[in-house]
Amino acid sequence: MTRRMLSFAVAFVAAVGAAAPLARAETALSPEEARTIEFGKEIYKVKANCQFCHKWDASGDTGYGGIALSLRKTALTREQFIEVIKCGRPMTGMPYHDQYAYTDKRCFGMTREDLGKNMPLLGESLSAREIDAVVKYLYARAVGRGEATYEDCVDFWGKDTRQCEPMKK
Amino acid sequence: MKTLAFASVLTSLMVATALTPVQAADMTHERALNAMKEPHNWLLHHGNYEGWRFSGLKQINTDNVKNLKVAFTVALGGFESGGRYKHGNLQATPIIEDGIMYVTDGWGSVYAIDVSGGKKGVIKWKFDPGTDRAWAGDVACCGVNNRGVALWKDKIISISLDGRLFSLNKATGEMIWERKVADPAIAETITLAPLVIRDIAITGSAGGEFGIRGWIDGTDLNTGKQVWRTYTIPGAGEPGNETWKDGKERWKHGGASVWETATYDPETDTFYQGIGNAGPDWDPEYRPGDNKWAASVLALSPSDGKIKWGYQYTPNDPYDYDEISEHQIINAKVNGQDRKLVVHAARNGFYYVLDRVNGSFIAGKQYVDQLNWTPGLDPKTGLPLNYNPNTDVQEYAPGSHSSRARPTSNRLCPSHYGGKNWEPGAYNPELQLLYIPSIEGCNTVDTVEQKDFVDQGGPIKPRERFTGGGGRPTERLYGSIKALDPVTGETKVRTKLEYPNYAGALATAGNLVFLGHYDGTFSAYDAKSLQELWTFNAGSGINAPAVSYAVNGKQYIAVLVGSRQPLNVWQNAPELKNTSTASMLYVFEQ
Repeated sequence: MTRRMLSFAVAFVAAVGAAAPLARAETALSPEEARTIEFGKEIYKVKANCQFCHKWDASGDTGYGGIALSLRKTALTREQFIEVIKCGRPMTGMPYHDQYAYTDKRCFGMTREDLGKNMPLLGESLSAREIDAVVKYLYARAVGRGEATYEDCVDFWGKDTRQCEPMKK
Repeated sequence: MKTLAFASVLTSLMVATALTPVQAADMTHERALNAMKEPHNWLLHHGNYEGWRFSGLKQINTDNVKNLKVAFTVALGGFESGGRYKHGNLQATPIIEDGIMYVTDGWGSVYAIDVSGGKKGVIKWKFDPGTDRAWAGDVACCGVNNRGVALWKDKIISISLDGRLFSLNKATGEMIWERKVADPAIAETITLAPLVIRDIAITGSAGGEFGIRGWIDGTDLNTGKQVWRTYTIPGAGEPGNETWKDGKERWKHGGASVWETATYDPETDTFYQGIGNAGPDWDPEYRPGDNKWAASVLALSPSDGKIKWGYQYTPNDPYDYDEISEHQIINAKVNGQDRKLVVHAARNGFYYVLDRVNGSFIAGKQYVDQLNWTPGLDPKTGLPLNYNPNTDVQEYAPGSHSSRARPTSNRLCPSHYGGKNWEPGAYNPELQLLYIPSIEGCNTVDTVEQKDFVDQGGPIKPRERFTGGGGRPTERLYGSIKALDPVTGETKVRTKLEYPNYAGALATAGNLVFLGHYDGTFSAYDAKSLQELWTFNAGSGINAPAVSYAVNGKQYIAVLVGSRQPLNVWQNAPELKNTSTASMLYVFEQ
């Protein structure tokens, strides 16, 4: 591990370990904001398929997607969140989603050559607008919100499936 | 004039009737036993009960395969998203009977396609089981998969991911009955093609990453009712249960799933079912003991599901070396003696030869390029040389697996994907060569201490993942096709492939081996040299094995095209990243 990567890892662990911010109340959304959140949900669910590893409720998971952290409990700032989606996390299973990441020094000041074998995995390419939407979705519906509820489940999966039945109280 | 009009209608009706293929004969046990005697058809999932995937047709052969071209294609459906998956996937082996082909898509729709004209495929009927995609797809470990149908009498027997078994009218597709066999409420799903022996359909449950207790199940096709169920993990008091030594009944969530069609030996009336990994996959400290019958083969009686014998490949498996794939049945001379063999290219990287009457180990040999988890197999027992009978949690080669104390492994070879995953091999009995399509290369696995299920005092609810860690693609994997001597396991010829193989092989009497690839390439290889003789690129990944059939005396090769690109392949093969999925049948002719 290079010194720069070590400091990245330390900084990341510190950020994740910090206290979770308060949940934002989802009130008085403008139609545009509401649309963006729905757009972000679809990216999380299908296009970037974040749920395969992080689970539908973003509570993190294990398995064939590797060990994925809980986004509900994350303490990353929005800026850090965006950076991780764009750049991935070297030395973990978190892929990068900016298709030009590491072609120049936009990610952690490093290129593909600098990272060598520690180059993060390749994920679905997302535009800045899509990344913005997925982050807005996660902050609106997951980050800092405690355990997911039946209502959260129906919001994610809809009502045409048995998927949320086990969560019914 | 009226009479003329009537006559003209009558004539066109007669013409239409003449073009409609003759109603196929009923599928009987006798026909199933003699499937190889109908080389123009492909009647059983693996071609024959013995698992050979060998077509006796030789019109297309090493001399003329270079002229192979597309005869026609048929667009199918089933690529909708659902649960954890962006789209469904095609993995089915087509079944062909007298010019009608039966294929499935990942969500369980069955398509009866009239291919008798040779110029196009006409979908005669389609049966859509209406799978609850989110419900089933959220507990599918590895994609939206369905490996095909079975024929029985005048019915088509099919399954859906959400655990149902269907009997359909072969002529019309109308459903006669359905039976809920597996329960997605406890993360059980079905992906395998049913195996029909006499009047019983044998299925099994996938779900080894979700804390199921695996089983194999027999359905009476006359009634649609269960006739037996055999758990792949023995219950309290049953032989083998003592190999779960945790003292907390963790065998109840120990995995040992079943997700590819078994082979059947009519001589001994026994079927051979490969059994999946123990759960949680990567936290073997959670389940001290050998964990029978995970990572094993079971020999069972089809009429009552009784276990005749079992053989375990990787005791207390810390890798997810799941052994669900096919076990070919071959008779051969071993050291001058006639032996009844059952053979298996295992996910753990070794090829095994067993006596299929009593399950004793005869021979084993590494078939993958790289293998580092054990120095070899004990020549008497076939157990890994570093297996320690005096310990409950095995420590195979240092660093090859992770543990609670050392949560990340070093390089593991073969990677936890295998070796050989579900994709079936093929056997050419004339050349006596067994073709093994494989996944070559290495990766890393991680351990996370597994928490208990709610029924055992923990927080894990049914349908949640129960894997005790994860796997990571750390390097680019590649593939190979190898021709093995089935008696010794010696690799006679090998060809390196650009991509790990997740499609499976077809061998033909034209001395060819057909194989699809993840970049959409479909290739024919010389069966003796494994030299590539012909390729065609279908433009979307291939994840299904090919078959061969004939209509009106002409040979065709058919394969389903359209694949989910799994993370472990495309994350290290960026050129595949923007490949789009499709859902197509391709048929080739000379």
